Amino acid sequence: MGAPRFETSPAAPVKSPEHWHLPAPYDWRAALAVLLIGVALIWSAQRVEIDKMLRLTGEAVLAQVGLQDESQVGRGLGRMFGSLFPFVIEDRQEIARLPNLDRDNLPMFTRIEVIENTRYKMNTTTLQAEPVVEAKEYLVHPYGYLFKVADKMLETFEIAAWATIISVLLSIPLAIMGARNYTPHPVLYTASRSLVSFLRAMPELIIAMFLVLGFGFGSIAGYLALGLHGAGFLGKFYAEDIEAADRKPQEALTALGAGKLRVLRAAVLPQVAPAYVAYTLYILDRNVRMAAVIGLVGAGGIGQELKGRYDLFEYGHVGTILLVIFLTVFVLDQISARLRARLIG
Amino acid sequence: MARATLTQSGGGVQPHLSFAGLVRQFPDGVRALDDVSFDVPKGQFCVVLGRSGSGKTTLLRSVNGLTELDGGTVRLNDTEMARGTLRAIRRRVAMVHQQFNLVERASVAANVLSGAVAEVSGWRVHLGWYPETLRARACAALHRVGLDEIHLNRRAAALSGGQQQRVGIARALLLNPEVILADEPVASLDPAISREILTLLRDVARERGATVLCSLHQTDLAREFADRIVGMRSGRVVFDGPSARFDAAAEAALYENTPAVVSPKAPATLERSYGCTPL
Repeated sequence: MGAPRFETSPAAPVKSPEHWHLPAPYDWRAALAVLLIGVALIWSAQRVEIDKMLRLTGEAVLAQVGLQDESQVGRGLGRMFGSLFPFVIEDRQEIARLPNLDRDNLPMFTRIEVIENTRYKMNTTTLQAEPVVEAKEYLVHPYGYLFKVADKMLETFEIAAWATIISVLLSIPLAIMGARNYTPHPVLYTASRSLVSFLRAMPELIIAMFLVLGFGFGSIAGYLALGLHGAGFLGKFYAEDIEAADRKPQEALTALGAGKLRVLRAAVLPQVAPAYVAYTLYILDRNVRMAAVIGLVGAGGIGQELKGRYDLFEYGHVGTILLVIFLTVFVLDQISARLRARLIG
Repeated sequence: MARATLTQSGGGVQPHLSFAGLVRQFPDGVRALDDVSFDVPKGQFCVVLGRSGSGKTTLLRSVNGLTELDGGTVRLNDTEMARGTLRAIRRRVAMVHQQFNLVERASVAANVLSGAVAEVSGWRVHLGWYPETLRARACAALHRVGLDEIHLNRRAAALSGGQQQRVGIARALLLNPEVILADEPVASLDPAISREILTLLRDVARERGATVLCSLHQTDLAREFADRIVGMRSGRVVFDGPSARFDAAAEAALYENTPAVVSPKAPATLERSYGCTPL
């Protein structure tokens, strides 16, 4: 079909070129707009302390290259990073608190460590502080904490995967209803688009906070929150791709008597599938990262563990958690890049 | 399906496709079809000839309801084109497009099979699991239009223009249509390939006894392939007869430069009718 074809008039009146009007690409209004934006940014800069940020960053850089003794930023971050190491990967439990422990048959990989602690105790008769040696027994699993974090990370990944599945299942009908050329009714179009914008506008952390109130602490609130928010993204992107798909094959199948759903399946889906795979993998990727964050409000996964350890100032444990999150996200990113290349290529 | 033997125009044959008083007027007053009436007998290769904007495409699209009419009736045998009969008529009428209208990312096989989505049960379409007999028919159709097994899994976009149009024809043949509408099927192909494609179209239509309504703008191709030429200009039929009678005078009447209708708003309005909502 291409461009519509119409007869052109050979007798169209020709204006001489000196009366043509070719305006400059922009005028004083554009300059004024730039000026106003500049003023707004300057006004805003002092509200968000851009100057302080630049000063502190500059000091930190100077301290690094040795031109300044120390800096506030360097000190704060340095103390934090210093306490992250060494990473804690062992699990240590006091045996006094494990009444059911069978000493002849310890759990796998574990061993018992005895640690002698010297305490000074006031002798009530001599009124002297005397050293007392106390031996405490610990059941030590050398990689116990790492295993626990890995298990939490798996739970986080499961939350992310289920959230993605929920997003996809919700957004397919939303996308069909929200695509202008396939919606069953204009009212449904508006309703679907509004719902999708609403879901996208609600930050997942906030949805999770409310869902925790309803479903209690744990992963249910996590994957529901991420799934709803993801449906807001996928519903929009899926619908826009349906609208932007090449109309020519759709028209061909319509001309052969196919109904809307079949045209959608046979002429639109093959066109949009690669982009859908890319969006969905992005949402999965994002859900893994966000699942680590929403744990902070009690929605399950590794974030909940992270928040607990952070609040107890156990930075060694925090370090291990951060490392595991980083490695997982890195590996998933590599896998999804390869998957995308294979599915799209 | 058994078909009547090939017939030439006239001769008291019952019309297969009949147009009566077709009118299509765009909101800005341009008439793409202005009282068009003629009959096409079964098995005829009828070429609609005219310049760009003469109403050829609108005429073809009125047969399968891609363009809504403001007046007049289209009949296929004794079925009148109406909202209720639209789907049924579309299944009996195939269309070959100027720009092939294939799903470029999909394989050649998938493109041909998509010609049958209206007939195959829904779950099969959605799972992409077409019945064995249909797959065999798709292979046969591809073989008939001159493609090979190696093309089956190739992407449509990887084929040359001529090959893509062959895939388009194979897709159109899959449901054994009674009528083939060919809308400028060779306008984006070079002259040699154009002849090959038109020959193929004529031959496959003859084998099946299908009626062809083909729009063209090249007079030489029309003379060479048409059983009958219907010349259109500004939405009116200005010539109708066997191709042998299409002489220089008729050609001049069709193409001679005289002030014609200008409609700056027309593209936008035409775009609207391009949507894929039925009617």
